[in-house]
Amino acid sequence: MMNWNLYSHGDKFFAIVVSVLIGMFTVATLYPFIYIAAVSFSSGFAAAAGKVVFSPIDTTIESYKYVFAQKAFWVSYRNTFIYTIGGTLVSLAFIIPGAYALSRPQLKGRRFFNLFIAFTMWFNAGLIPFFLNMRDLNLLDSMFGIILAFAVNAFNIILLRNFFESIPSSFEEAARMDGANDFQVLWKVFVPLSKPAIATITLFCIVSRWNGFFWAMVLLQSEEKIPLQVFLRHTIAKLSDTEEFAMTVLDADYGPETVTAAIIVCSIIPVLIVYPFIQKYFEKGILLGGVKE
Amino acid sequence: MAPRNTRWTRAVDHLKREWQIYLMLLPTIVWFIVFLYKPMYGLQIAFKDYSIFRGVANSPWVGLEHFETLFSNDQFFRAVYNTIQISALNLLFGFPAPIILALMFNEILHATYKKTAQTIVYLPHFISSVIIAGIVITAFSPTAGIVNTLLGWLGIDPIYFLTKPEWFRPIFVGTGIWQEAGFGSIVFLAAIAGVNPSLYESAVVDGANRWQMMWRITIPCILPTILIMLIIRIGNIMEVSFELVILLYQPATYSTADVVNTWVYRQGLQSGQYDLAAAAGLFNAVVAFVLVMAANSLSRRFSRTSLW
Amino acid sequence: MAGVSLSKIVKRFGAIEVVHGIDLDVAEQEFVVLVGPSGCGKSTTLRMVAGLEEISDGELTIDGRYMNRVAPKDRDVAMVFQNYALYPHLNVAENMAFGLRIRRVPNAEIKQIIADTAEILGLTNYLDRRPADLSGGQRQRVAMGRAIVRHPKVFLFDEPLSNLDAKLRTQMRAEIKRLHKRLGATSIYVTHDQVEAMTLADRIVVMNDGSIEQIGTPMELFNNPVNTFVAGFLGSPPMNQITGKVTETGAQVGDTVIQLDRDLGGLAGRDVVVGIRPEHVSLQPGEGTTPLPISLDLVEPLGSEALLHARFGDDNLVFKTDTNGQIEHLSGIDTVHVPASLVTLFDAESGRTLRAGG
Repeated sequence: MMNWNLYSHGDKFFAIVVSVLIGMFTVATLYPFIYIAAVSFSSGFAAAAGKVVFSPIDTTIESYKYVFAQKAFWVSYRNTFIYTIGGTLVSLAFIIPGAYALSRPQLKGRRFFNLFIAFTMWFNAGLIPFFLNMRDLNLLDSMFGIILAFAVNAFNIILLRNFFESIPSSFEEAARMDGANDFQVLWKVFVPLSKPAIATITLFCIVSRWNGFFWAMVLLQSEEKIPLQVFLRHTIAKLSDTEEFAMTVLDADYGPETVTAAIIVCSIIPVLIVYPFIQKYFEKGILLGGVKE
Repeated sequence: MAPRNTRWTRAVDHLKREWQIYLMLLPTIVWFIVFLYKPMYGLQIAFKDYSIFRGVANSPWVGLEHFETLFSNDQFFRAVYNTIQISALNLLFGFPAPIILALMFNEILHATYKKTAQTIVYLPHFISSVIIAGIVITAFSPTAGIVNTLLGWLGIDPIYFLTKPEWFRPIFVGTGIWQEAGFGSIVFLAAIAGVNPSLYESAVVDGANRWQMMWRITIPCILPTILIMLIIRIGNIMEVSFELVILLYQPATYSTADVVNTWVYRQGLQSGQYDLAAAAGLFNAVVAFVLVMAANSLSRRFSRTSLW
Repeated sequence: MAGVSLSKIVKRFGAIEVVHGIDLDVAEQEFVVLVGPSGCGKSTTLRMVAGLEEISDGELTIDGRYMNRVAPKDRDVAMVFQNYALYPHLNVAENMAFGLRIRRVPNAEIKQIIADTAEILGLTNYLDRRPADLSGGQRQRVAMGRAIVRHPKVFLFDEPLSNLDAKLRTQMRAEIKRLHKRLGATSIYVTHDQVEAMTLADRIVVMNDGSIEQIGTPMELFNNPVNTFVAGFLGSPPMNQITGKVTETGAQVGDTVIQLDRDLGGLAGRDVVVGIRPEHVSLQPGEGTTPLPISLDLVEPLGSEALLHARFGDDNLVFKTDTNGQIEHLSGIDTVHVPASLVTLFDAESGRTLRAGG
């Protein structure tokens, strides 16, 4: 249907204009990352003077040396890995069996349970009661608390439940006639058949864990428990208070801007490494979740 | 001998046969009760004089006192106003952006070019708000930032963007578009992909050009999707991504930047006025709930299935 | 091997009854086909035997054992599904081994069984493939293999050939029949295709609207249908049905009285439906035939045979005739000859077959 050779002149012109516009938007999307990378490799002096545009000025890796020398950076990096991996595994351990049960027609009260879960998407108690509840549960400043309290959300359960419901019932029936119980049906049939949906949910979990900031900031006090995002925020806050920073850093090789940029680069890199692998899943995944109660 | 077939024996029979699925559901249900429904019970402190030592249940009732305080509080009103204002701007500029992007992607013939561009524009969605804020802070810095460097080339004096109330909303909304427009286009691209190709083929035979096909075929065909997404956006008008607000605002810009949730955060978690903040949160949640329900019932009219 | 017995089996979904008290005895090693239009309850009946649907009322026994409340896995039955339900993530061997692994059969034994079954089904060279890399017929064979490996007492087939194209269907039909001869397993087979029913069945059960219309061998049903429904369902093209009236000597349709060589005592004056099989008429007059004037619409050549589409009064009729390689002479036909002995009479009101003397 769409064939360049069969396009009229007007259509060709239109296509070229659109391609250029898309190109511009793409460059605009990419540019801030290039800019930050350039700043991170520039000298503090050049960055402070606003000289950096595309490529590093007075190229240096002093900012990275400064960042890597901080023990708190490595601790928070490790913590983020713990939260991401641990949190994702715990999430899956809740979500997969839960979604399976909710997808079974023979579950009595299925409508009620589905509503019970969906309701939390429409109404939530808000920051304060959630925080006070965490305190009552003794989960403040607890790594376990962070992992558990954000393990499940209604959206992921419903997404997977919808996928499970779309699996033809004969798969389950065949397995049952072969003697499988529910755990075997789930583990040997549904999970392998649902790889795209489970990959999508895993992806959502990983991304939200890796990026999680607000509650980590509110709930965690100990330096040795905070994740990378909170460390990054602390550092940015500290560095943008220029006077305080001036007391600690006088070297022109790196400055507040370059150090901030260096930390940003360090925390984006894992995302960039994983991104190509997950890309094929999230387009599918976002569409899986969209529809149906 | 006919087996007794009472309600009770049937329930026991059912559980004997299907206990496994109930066991599978149990952890999830317990989790929802402990982490999402118990806080709803805790919402009653919005009507109580809450003290940490007495706890939720034992604090004395004060009726609507907190709501009276709230509705006579200028800062709270400002926060409600700012929430709606920012959402409205988001709707105006942030909503059309992914649609336009999707329509443009649909016109690109070169598969590799298209795929590469899509890969890049989806990326910011996966970047944390802390990093986004870090990039914005760096880029808009008065002396070092690229924005002021560019303005300098044009002979304009540096602007302290992040301390100027009038600049907060444009920067915030612009950042949102930069971060989410690409990812948001996925839904519309899928809708476009669902349009019957023979419609385009017959249009080609009838002599339509690409521009006409976009207006007369693509857009009418994805209109239901557009409407539904619009309704969702309107339903979520009380939900401003306050994490990014917290990361970008400062006391100098509170007048335009402070939204309900950031106000709740400061009053409750930073100043310890839990009951008043919970009241504000409850107000926000109820308004949001009504909006979402209205949006959901509205969207049922446009599509046979409901949204969630 | 064992027999299956259904006694007054009822299925209700909520307040709606979809199967109304079915009685059926399937003997050991017998191949019984349930046939009927979609929605007639045949699949539901099969699924009740499998244990996939609860039995609302009545009694099911397999091998003499009461089965109503036994879980599917403990009934010792195997089922071949319409869409095969092959696990896409497992290869052919593992698909067939699935049930054995669940039942913790030792590995060596599984290997032997899979090898033997693959041999029978001609799948030996495909054991490592995934279902997605198989043709429709091969998938069908794997689905059967999965049932065979378990050596169940009873095989259940739920429209297993309906996803295949016409040519493959014919081929697989023959293969199922051969397999049944070889294994001699009790089988219940559901289909809506009367050709499958005729070719495969030891006995056919014709169902309609949740009840059994008739049970019998294929030829019994073909020759002596109990009512217009069975008559119309079996045979291709179906039996022509013309409304008429019984006279002293035959059946009057339009202005023609079809002579019948049977005792019509007591039937004279009855309103009837006259049933004539398309292949029973001849183009030449013979002994005991009645000429029936028709107006020919269309001739459809099928090769060795041709279908004549014709009108008689308000009725559309179809006749089948041999061509001997020629169809030109057929276009001029205006009369067919109906043999007296091969006409079936049905009561116009109830649709039941009217027997001579009754």
